[in-house]
Amino acid sequence: MKKKLQNLYLLLIVIFLYAPIMTLMVLSFNSSRTRAKWGGFTGKWYVSLFQDEAIMSTLYNTLIIALLSALIATVIGTLASIGIQSMNRKFRTFMLGVTNIPMLNADIVTGVSMMLLFIAFRMTMGFTTILIAHITFNIPYVILSVMPKLKQTNRRTYEAALDLGASPIYAFFKVVFPDILPGILSGFLLAFTMSLDDFVITHFTKGPGIDTLSTKIYSEVRKGIRPEIYALSTLMFVTVLFLLFLVNLKPEKEVHEKNGTIRKPSRARHTMRLVVTRVVPALLVIVITAGGFFYNSKTKISGSEKVIVYNWGEYLDPDVLDIFEEETGIQVVYEEYETNEIMYPKVQSGAISYDVVCPSDYMIQRMIENDLLDEINWDNVPNIKNIGQTYMDQSKAFDPENKYSVPYCWGTVGILYNKTMVDEPIDSWSVLWDPKYKDSILMQDSVRDAFGVTLKYLGYSLNSTDLDELNEAKNLLIKQKPLVQAYVVDQVRDKMIGNEAAIGVIYSGEAIYTQKENPNLEYVIPKEGSNIWIDSWVIPKNAEHKENAEKFINFLCRPDIALKNFEYITYSTPNEAARELIEDESIRNSKIAFPDASELSGCETFKFLGDKNDAVYNELWREVKSK
Amino acid sequence: MPNKLIDIVGVSKSYGDNLVLDDLNLYIRENEFLTLLGPSGCGKTTLLRILGGFENPDSGKVIFDGKDITSLAPNKRQLNTVFQKYALFTHMTIAENIAFGLKIKGKSKSYIDDKIHYALKLVNLEGYQNRYPDSLSGGQQQRIAIARAIVNEPKVLLLDEPLGALDLKLRQDMQYELIRLKNELGITFIYVTHDQEEALTMSDTIVVMNQGYIQQIGTPEDIYNEPENAFVADFIGDSNIFNAIMVRDKLVNIVGAEFPCVDTGFGTNKPVDAVIRPEDIDLVKPEEGTLKGVVTHLIFKGVHYEMEVLANNYEWLVHSTDMFPVGTEVGIHVDPFDIQIMKKPESEDEEAVGIEE
Repeated sequence: MKKKLQNLYLLLIVIFLYAPIMTLMVLSFNSSRTRAKWGGFTGKWYVSLFQDEAIMSTLYNTLIIALLSALIATVIGTLASIGIQSMNRKFRTFMLGVTNIPMLNADIVTGVSMMLLFIAFRMTMGFTTILIAHITFNIPYVILSVMPKLKQTNRRTYEAALDLGASPIYAFFKVVFPDILPGILSGFLLAFTMSLDDFVITHFTKGPGIDTLSTKIYSEVRKGIRPEIYALSTLMFVTVLFLLFLVNLKPEKEVHEKNGTIRKPSRARHTMRLVVTRVVPALLVIVITAGGFFYNSKTKISGSEKVIVYNWGEYLDPDVLDIFEEETGIQVVYEEYETNEIMYPKVQSGAISYDVVCPSDYMIQRMIENDLLDEINWDNVPNIKNIGQTYMDQSKAFDPENKYSVPYCWGTVGILYNKTMVDEPIDSWSVLWDPKYKDSILMQDSVRDAFGVTLKYLGYSLNSTDLDELNEAKNLLIKQKPLVQAYVVDQVRDKMIGNEAAIGVIYSGEAIYTQKENPNLEYVIPKEGSNIWIDSWVIPKNAEHKENAEKFINFLCRPDIALKNFEYITYSTPNEAARELIEDESIRNSKIAFPDASELSGCETFKFLGDKNDAVYNELWREVKSK
Repeated sequence: MPNKLIDIVGVSKSYGDNLVLDDLNLYIRENEFLTLLGPSGCGKTTLLRILGGFENPDSGKVIFDGKDITSLAPNKRQLNTVFQKYALFTHMTIAENIAFGLKIKGKSKSYIDDKIHYALKLVNLEGYQNRYPDSLSGGQQQRIAIARAIVNEPKVLLLDEPLGALDLKLRQDMQYELIRLKNELGITFIYVTHDQEEALTMSDTIVVMNQGYIQQIGTPEDIYNEPENAFVADFIGDSNIFNAIMVRDKLVNIVGAEFPCVDTGFGTNKPVDAVIRPEDIDLVKPEEGTLKGVVTHLIFKGVHYEMEVLANNYEWLVHSTDMFPVGTEVGIHVDPFDIQIMKKPESEDEEAVGIEE
């Protein structure tokens, strides 16, 4: 019985610890892009992973930063430990406390303060700043693992070495160093892992044109994580497993030596050990460094002419950048963000002077209000003529005189439903309150979307700040709760593809893709009206290459380029000329991608309602969620 | 008499407010086996570390073979240390441990091999060269530590409580081993210990220290038989130490009874310390003793019995091969030459208090 329980316990542990990783590994061999469907076994993601320069160069960035920061932190941390160890007790406790602070400090605080420091010293955000930041937060981990070893070390052995005629440095390397080496190595590995893991601090200290894996993956959340990333994660997991295996090979050998048998380790064993402890790590270092230099040289900033672009993750076809560089000779430094709220403070702080940014409607309004944007000289953007007038008109909601923004992508919020699971034509938000669909409804888990939908259903503006209207919406949302299967964000897409729900609130951009995967799905903009969102290019006030920025925007408005981007992103394009070039008739005439103007007439863009109203919305949403 | 090899002149050392050595003067002769003996905290280890170069004295000089080496780095000194807990290099083999110093000096491989062989033979550990220190017993490790030190042919070997971590039997074996080594090598040993028996067994000269002061310097016999003050008497072996009054030459009043003794020159009716070793007290029939008492405690110690006798309100410690049961009335007799009379310490600093081991 006890034995059985033990095994059960073990099984549970294995399941909880490794099930997520197993899922990831399985998905990395799934030939379907969505995680809801098994499309058969494939190795194609692994192939495309190694062909994807963007991913490979971020991988190398990550590894080089991890390796360099861990190495430097190990040297500094070890020296610091030796220094601290020889201090008197009071000072030592104090120093240990001080060095531990970066480790205990919230990452976000460390990240922001490093960023502010770099700005204060007028450093350009980039590789160097990330490296410095990583070294900084790695040092405490090294000290943490070296100090205990140093404490264990008998000070007398060091003195014994001196006594036998060794100079202090010789004595350190011959006697103390081998004793603390395990601590140094584990400190190095810890630092290496910490650096690989880090997202928050890297996020704040990175500059345009450089990404580590964590920031790169995170910038992709809006568009969904690519299967190549699953493949990469699988490879990294296997590598770590392999390294662990190598590390664990060693202790067994040591025990063997300490048995006290009077003989030297055999030559074969010795060679083997040398291979494991010296050759393998050395090869790794060489490969990583060489790879890094290779990718670095490929992305080398050549000319002085450049344009710094700050865009959503996965929101532009990489080929487009190559074409632009080739045609104009202007180097594109490209950085990605994941939400408007993350982008805003980076632009506002002025840490990096971006030349072109792509915020959403309400955020553009906020940036205009805070005087962060520069007017666009339309003479330099003749291709603006390709942008449909409808979208320029819609833009007036946040850019009243069309002075600051050039629409890039847009979409609506609507209902995605499964034709086989509903028995009536759906054209109204009212289905979301229909008890027939209990437990088959997916709601967006975001304040403005949930309230927007409800306010529209009630016939109000989705930018309402009227407390009575908002309370009415709140009560309706509470009433809806028992019917809702789940409040989700990304999963609407996958759950709908997997036939897990009948009705979901979704963005139109996702709808086209889901329809491709599951033809039974249909998208509709309800007759009460909905949200239309527009992401537009703007030029910040502190841009250093305004002319290049305008050239870049103009280039993106060219029909062939806009088409390329449309095909890559699959979100609706406001570029009428580009739409004409779409070869696939079903898409060109897709009601989802390009709804009639009449359908859009009831749609509104979100506006920035001010901090106070934001708080009201959040409070009401909290009430809904907690009821 | 051989020459002075080391001369320690007026050395003082303090840590913070704690004065560890106070104006200490001491010389060590060539070929001497000198032991620094004292309770922990008496400054003996500090003195040894000053000799080894691991500490700098606040004032004073260390003269070695006529040269001032006070501020010379440890690795430049012609002496080697055997540390308290051996301080072997655990990641090196025994051979590598022993060769450590020789390699630094750039000796040839064949010279080093010879030396390793010789040293291991000297400490009776032949064939151990490829083993690691962790696989050796405490006594073996200790001998390796000695071997590692002596292959460098130092003029002086400093030993810091080298036997402290060993058990009794091993300790006794090692004591003989050390004496043998010292005789074979013909070098000077400076030995630090708080174990008085160890000191008495091995030394040519014992330096008894307490609270940074030298209390007495002498041969083991001198120290044992003629302690110069109450501290030395108490520290070396078991003793009965009395506040006594020197009535006149050759007569001392101890707890009210007058004992004939052999000491002269202390004046008349002067307060003194009187020391009587427990084994020097003869228990006789009540009427035959100088003083009457009753046995209050009795313990069998193997070689002898240890008894406490209450006489004139004082507990007398007695070692005897004869046994007197508790409650027996006995007489106390002490031969005159077994009573050691000592001057009372003159200053408070000099006074030896608080013996802790």
